[in-house]
Amino acid sequence: MNKKSIFYGVSLAALCTFSMASSALSGELNILTWEGYADPSVIEPFEAATGCKVSATYVGSNDDFAPKLAAGGGVFDIVTPSIDTTKSLIDAGFVQPIDVSKIEAWDDLYEKFTSAEGLHKDGKIYGVPYAWGAIPFMYLKDKFPTPPTSISVLWDPELKGRVSLWDDKSALYVAARLNGDMNIYNLTDEQIAAAQAKLSEQRPNIRKYWATAGELVDLYKSGEVWISNTWGGYQSSLLAAEGIEVVEFIPEEGAEGWMDSNMIVAGTPNEECAYQFLNMASAAEGQAGVFKVNGYSSTNPVAARTFMSPEEYSALHQDDPGYMDSLLLWTNLGARLPTYTNAWNAVKSQ
Amino acid sequence: MSAPSSGRLWRVAVLSPPLLWTFVFMFIPYSILFVYSFWEQVYPTFQPAFQFGNYLQIITDPQYFNVLSRTLKIALFVSLGAMLVAFPYAYFLVFKVKSSALRQVLYMAVVAPLWVSYLLRAYTWKTILGTTGILNSFLMSIGVLSEPSSVFLYNQTAMIVTLIYVFIPFMVMPIYAVLEKIPKSLTEASNDLGVGRLRTFFLVTLPLSIPGIVAGFTMTFCLTFGDFIAPFLVGGPDGLMVANVIASQFGAALNWPLGAALALVMMLIVLTIVTISDRFEQLGKGKFA
Repeated sequence: MNKKSIFYGVSLAALCTFSMASSALSGELNILTWEGYADPSVIEPFEAATGCKVSATYVGSNDDFAPKLAAGGGVFDIVTPSIDTTKSLIDAGFVQPIDVSKIEAWDDLYEKFTSAEGLHKDGKIYGVPYAWGAIPFMYLKDKFPTPPTSISVLWDPELKGRVSLWDDKSALYVAARLNGDMNIYNLTDEQIAAAQAKLSEQRPNIRKYWATAGELVDLYKSGEVWISNTWGGYQSSLLAAEGIEVVEFIPEEGAEGWMDSNMIVAGTPNEECAYQFLNMASAAEGQAGVFKVNGYSSTNPVAARTFMSPEEYSALHQDDPGYMDSLLLWTNLGARLPTYTNAWNAVKSQ
Repeated sequence: MSAPSSGRLWRVAVLSPPLLWTFVFMFIPYSILFVYSFWEQVYPTFQPAFQFGNYLQIITDPQYFNVLSRTLKIALFVSLGAMLVAFPYAYFLVFKVKSSALRQVLYMAVVAPLWVSYLLRAYTWKTILGTTGILNSFLMSIGVLSEPSSVFLYNQTAMIVTLIYVFIPFMVMPIYAVLEKIPKSLTEASNDLGVGRLRTFFLVTLPLSIPGIVAGFTMTFCLTFGDFIAPFLVGGPDGLMVANVIASQFGAALNWPLGAALALVMMLIVLTIVTISDRFEQLGKGKFA
């Protein structure tokens, strides 16, 4: 018996030292991010170079970040919310300030993004811009002999049961623009009610509200849906790979723009690895990954030149600040968020 | 150690696991939920308070009544549908299948799908009901349809069909269990006394199987009432159920207080139904057993 317990004691001690040693050599990074942002083509070289092991969890919407962080537990080290969500996370104390002197590519990033209001508080910076793009609309090429140009096509009675919209408060942004309310991030109660009514009116046309990128691809693939909004560049390239021809377009009512930033979760024990990840993500390796996997535009125009052809560079509007400015860049809704969410739920509960 | 105190110790030892279980997994979480339900949402999250605003909102905003009554309706249809399919099946297994090996196989055929992930089973229905799915191809091949129809998927009917399929084992198992326990001598006696088969069924077999039906109905109902995957997978724009709304309050809206209030209202409804069904079961026992 004595021998046995000694054996157990020794093996336990060995186990402890071993796990301690390995955690000193390498860290583990848990990142809460979007589909395609933790692609093996980027993660594997990063893990090999730094010894930091990366596990990714995916969100279906920006609304998933705060609840997962609010639940506590210190699970995540890095989050990649969009610019409409960053401010809530900062205000709630879920993320910590970033020492940008440790980010080598910081000065190469678009100044429009690094100076974005949603990343700053009390003179401190909380996020490193990662990728950006538009929320255009997308349709099956063979179903539309005349290319649609307006959002109103989503309300066309001809398209009964053929439309899909993102299952997100952004559906209200779409409806509001159709109503001519361009202040989509600052709608009054009446304007929200009008957008809600517009969406109710649209319901016969809706086949399904899509919740994830994969679901939208499936809806097109199985012939359920002909037209929808989309994460510009991403689902269309997945569909193109399946041999399904879809066309993206920016309607005359304009499109929303988004920009995702990497943020460090407050109190992470893996800060060292987190900074290495942020550096990789904003440099050519990470930027090339997000471009090749997702088809999104790069926040680092200097690095982008190294992996994009000149044609790709201009196709992704990397040299076109006017395009960037024309997008209605997502903005934090602040105290109005519950009103928007409630209206969106009301549409779905009718 | 004296005998009485060890008896008391024994009693404590026997009782404490269930008590501890109830305390840790029921009492504490529901108390927390109860406390949360009086808090209020304040940007960027929520803060402690004591106010009834969340409950008021549930009562005054019609969307909650809509969703609750829709969920009730769907749960009722699923339970009824499952019962209508499960009862004849269980009856057939117990009374008509003579070979016990065959009976075992047929019983397992219903229960075995429980070992497969719920998600997978629900996904399967997508491939059956979809526009380019198996059902459409079949109907077109036999000439019923000339072009694929989209009426089978992404609506409440699809949700009901999927949920019936997913939860039917919970209906078959208790009904099978009670039918199996009905002594053959009772139906034989009834037949000997000159009562026809049909009347014997309604006067003897059915009343005796009520506890199983009620148990199955209650389980199916509660499982459906709390489901939020089916709306997501096969439901259409009118598929939102109350569990989805609760999930969105805890998620998208970051309004845990309202979500907690909704969860408690939902629990109250389920408890009411369980109580009523318990009465039914007692009724069955008192009258017939």
